[in-house]
Amino acid sequence: MSIRRKLFRERALPYLLIAPTVAVLLALSIYPLIYAVKVSLQTESEGGVRWTFRNFTRLFSDEFFLSALKHTLVYASIALTVEFLLGLALAVLLNRSIRGRSFFRAALLVPMMLPPVVVGVIWRLMLNPRFGAVNGTLKGFGFNTEALAWTGSPKLAFASVILVDIWQWTPFMFLILLAGLQAIPEEPYEAARIDGSTPWQTFRHVTLPLLKPAILIALLLRTMDLLRIFDQIFILTEGGPGGATEPISLYIYRTAFRFGDFGYAAAMSFVLLILTNIISLLYIRLLQRQEDV
Amino acid sequence: MKERGWGSGVGGRGLMYLLAALAVVAALLPVYWLLTISLKTDLDQLSVPPKWFVFGPTLTHYHNAFVERSFGQYLITSAIVAVLSTICALVLGTLAAYALARFRLPHRLNTRLALWILSTRMFPPIVAAVPLFLLMSDLRLLDTTAALVITYTAFNLPFVVWMMRGFFKEIPRDLEEAALVDGDSRLGALRRVILPLVAPGLAATSVFCLIISWNEFLFALTLTQTDAAMTLPVGINGLVTQYKIEWGMMSAAGVVAMTPILVFALAVQRYLVRGLSLGAVKG
Repeated sequence: MSIRRKLFRERALPYLLIAPTVAVLLALSIYPLIYAVKVSLQTESEGGVRWTFRNFTRLFSDEFFLSALKHTLVYASIALTVEFLLGLALAVLLNRSIRGRSFFRAALLVPMMLPPVVVGVIWRLMLNPRFGAVNGTLKGFGFNTEALAWTGSPKLAFASVILVDIWQWTPFMFLILLAGLQAIPEEPYEAARIDGSTPWQTFRHVTLPLLKPAILIALLLRTMDLLRIFDQIFILTEGGPGGATEPISLYIYRTAFRFGDFGYAAAMSFVLLILTNIISLLYIRLLQRQEDV
Repeated sequence: MKERGWGSGVGGRGLMYLLAALAVVAALLPVYWLLTISLKTDLDQLSVPPKWFVFGPTLTHYHNAFVERSFGQYLITSAIVAVLSTICALVLGTLAAYALARFRLPHRLNTRLALWILSTRMFPPIVAAVPLFLLMSDLRLLDTTAALVITYTAFNLPFVVWMMRGFFKEIPRDLEEAALVDGDSRLGALRRVILPLVAPGLAATSVFCLIISWNEFLFALTLTQTDAAMTLPVGINGLVTQYKIEWGMMSAAGVVAMTPILVFALAVQRYLVRGLSLGAVKG
């Protein structure tokens, strides 16, 4: 082989290695996007297909859409807050050598690795008002459980959906934050000890600032997941009763696959896409800073 | 492990263990409940107060789901789709990851491409679901395992690229430069020197891909309609009808769907944090 050809091959190699991945991702991410732009701008009328913004203007007056959007946001903010605080508390309290540590970690990873559909099944069984373990146990202790129709009443169903998410994903926060805590070196703590800081001061001025990268990563990843939540709710409540627990992704699903209104579903998708994009841009900015260091 | 912070006293330790025990019970009890329901007769399922430990176990629901109904078939489809999509994503993604980790491309293209690849992962699945549904129906792939394999491959690719890129970067450059000096080609060095060194990372990444594909629900729900290509999660969803919910079969299928995942998850425990954070936090 001539030197020139060898050099060319050496130059071209990285592109050849990356090309298939880029091709697959382009095909399955850019294509859907272009398609979504197209159908969202088309509406069918008697004169055939017309290009309009109708699907987008409709968003503002669609009560179901607005409440699905509200559900998603309320749901994400409550679950995120509780999971973060619980996970942080657990991580700080358990950041030390305890016996049975590996068993403990193994047990905690169970909920988040489960298929989301199975999580939905588990909690349908747990929360069933007639024979579910939750009401059954409460009854065993002499409580009147008649009013506790968990997934049956709008308010309780909303709380249930959030509770299930907290059950499943608090371990995620815990594990990421624990890993972050363990990466903090010993020296700043010694310095704080010499200065005579109280535990709270140490936490506030040493632990929290040094834990910030891990905290941000955990929060951003969780937010993205919460905004797209679908599976568990689909099984647990199917968005009901009466749409009370329907998140935006479920409403999009219904619009497209039950009502066959692809254009309107695509228009709604853009709202979800923009929401997720804001979060993912923040996340990528964060990673970029890590890369540049 | 270092000792620091709160609760160094005896009382503090006791409280800590109590808390740890509570967390374990909270995490595992609902899963155990699912297991008991799948083994109970219809009558025992409905008993109040619930029977947590003492009941006559039966395998009827497993028999009904996997022998009488098509859950055996769903199980096989799930396994095929998970394995094939994992292999495809692993082959394509590892090569790309190697290039991104090792070559210096102009215009900071390495970082830019890596971040773009990651950003496709952030795409909410429902946004892609409708166009993919129509694309697959144009290609006459609706209701086939091929549609799921293609979709899951694309879905797993960013994950593989980011995980493997991290593992490649941890390997000192000198090692493959030595192989290159010895006359190996780039790909020869990758195969003989580098791949064996990243084997644990490769194994962990593939297990994560298997889990992600196995658990996936939304695409499987929209792209399949009949027993021909239904996966376990979709099959389980099918047991919830307007009039009746097959509790026993549903929990039996649930137990079967979660068991391999739990075994896998325990196997990759060491890399769990890394996988969950897409390689951003090294646990």
